[in-house]
Amino acid sequence: MNARTLWRRVRHEAERAWIIAEKDIRLYYAKPPVIMWGIALPFFMFLSWSVGRNRPVGSLIPGLVAITVFFTASSIGPVVIPWEKRARTFERLLTAPVSLSAILLGKTLAGVIFGMAVAVLPILVGVIALGAHVTDPSALLLGSLLAAGAFASLGILFSTIPGQNVGAVMMPATLIRWPLLFISGLFVPLSSLAWWGRALAYLSPLTYANDIVQQAMGGAGYFHPAVNLAALAAFWAVFLVAGLRLHEIGRRKGI
Amino acid sequence: MTNAIEVQHLTKIYGQNQRGVTPVLAVDHISFCVRQGETFGFLGPNGAGKTTTINMLTTLIPPTDGAATVMGLDIVRDAYGVREAIGIVPEISNIYEEYSAWNNLMFTARLYGVPAGERERRAEELLTVFALWEKRGVISAGFSKGMKRRLCLAMGLMHRPQVLFLDEPTSGLDVQSVLVIRKIIQSLQEQGVTIFLTTHNIEEASLACDRVAIIHYGKIAAIDTPENLKATFRGMQSVEVAFAAGAEEVGGLAQLIGVREARRFGDKWRLYTDSPGQVIPQVVDWARERGMPLAAINTLGPSLEEVFVQITGITPPAQPEGEGRPGKRKRGAG
Repeated sequence: MNARTLWRRVRHEAERAWIIAEKDIRLYYAKPPVIMWGIALPFFMFLSWSVGRNRPVGSLIPGLVAITVFFTASSIGPVVIPWEKRARTFERLLTAPVSLSAILLGKTLAGVIFGMAVAVLPILVGVIALGAHVTDPSALLLGSLLAAGAFASLGILFSTIPGQNVGAVMMPATLIRWPLLFISGLFVPLSSLAWWGRALAYLSPLTYANDIVQQAMGGAGYFHPAVNLAALAAFWAVFLVAGLRLHEIGRRKGI
Repeated sequence: MTNAIEVQHLTKIYGQNQRGVTPVLAVDHISFCVRQGETFGFLGPNGAGKTTTINMLTTLIPPTDGAATVMGLDIVRDAYGVREAIGIVPEISNIYEEYSAWNNLMFTARLYGVPAGERERRAEELLTVFALWEKRGVISAGFSKGMKRRLCLAMGLMHRPQVLFLDEPTSGLDVQSVLVIRKIIQSLQEQGVTIFLTTHNIEEASLACDRVAIIHYGKIAAIDTPENLKATFRGMQSVEVAFAAGAEEVGGLAQLIGVREARRFGDKWRLYTDSPGQVIPQVVDWARERGMPLAAINTLGPSLEEVFVQITGITPPAQPEGEGRPGKRKRGAG
């Protein structure tokens, strides 16, 4: 394949990925499971966490932003893909002239946009009404983007759990997502964790997402911002490649 | 004429090399070809391997062994090119129910890279042909099964495929949808589109297909034109006789030379024979001698359904006497 053909193919695949993302945005953002698992769940979790705590509500906003991006972006894959498998529309995509990588990239893009769009809400409310500040907008934007990418790819990985029922895929996915909340420095700062707790925290993408958002909103960070951004980019790539690989295996097995 | 589809020793084993899973041989080294512009029927009972074969040819699942090409492109190495060349209408209409008919077609057009200037013209043309133009803006979740099927077929044709895979296209549909779809298939045949059709409706395959393959237990049991398949089973020919006075007390027909068996179906007798030409004059003489005017006499060939049953050994559900439905080959003396 020469450079020109390769470029045409890359452009073609990117266009198809965007077409798929656009379709997912239009069709699935308002689906009840997406609203429930992606928006209502983090909102109520934040309420249960913040109510009664002896801290200004504004200082809790970075944590809420990180949780929101985490839950919303990682909800698209495990809701939309089983949904489409059940309706056999996923099959339609697989037999169209588009690679599996582009299909999954499209689904990831839909998750990224969803995660970032919903995260705007707590940032606005925090800044306008609760005294929160954005001290480094570019770090907030880039950090949120990479975090949303990592979490959306994590959602793609979850969607490889066999099953065409959203609940059958979402339940195990939630069992993995919830523990991450407790080992990512959201409730207990990383500096206060035991060595083994910190070791676990390093394995969670939410740790780096929370840390970069804290720094962008005037809080103290644990890692250097560049470390956070690099870690989130690496998680994005690893989850997407692993998700692609597992989807390919499932396809060979006829799942 | 070149081949649109070439299949050589195509094999699919599910569960191979998977711990705790018993491997299942779904398709067993099948070989066949489909000529360009041909309508090829793929018949078989449930679990015979029809869908697995379609899934491999449409690049949805990789084969375990063997090879196949569609429009000269290898289904594994050139999957991308194969997908550009084919249209697929699966058994379950996989439309986006949250989208209107129009948006379903627009999405498909963009996904297949139909040029922007052509998308709307093509969508309008297809929606009109499929009698969906009036409903173009309606969310398709509310469509009837037949309308969803028509929309699915329109989506499969949006990019003008060279080869169209149709899985049970008219199964369980209302009469209007069946007629529209049959008309479209006929029109596609006239345009030279290659059609690969699976169906349970054997008479439909007999009417629509240039050639038919019968697949059973993952193997091709027979492959030929519908008429040749029927002719293969000459022993299933019969002479059907109806007397003006009814069908009482004419058991002596079974003693005529060349008649293997005589069976009564309602007001008619069917005489099974390898040689209808030998039996017909005897029947006429036999009736004249007894002063029993004939109401009708026909020779019947085996229907494709009977051929299918003979090949696969599958027994059809019992039918009440008189409801047999043999294929009518030619009308004799009356």
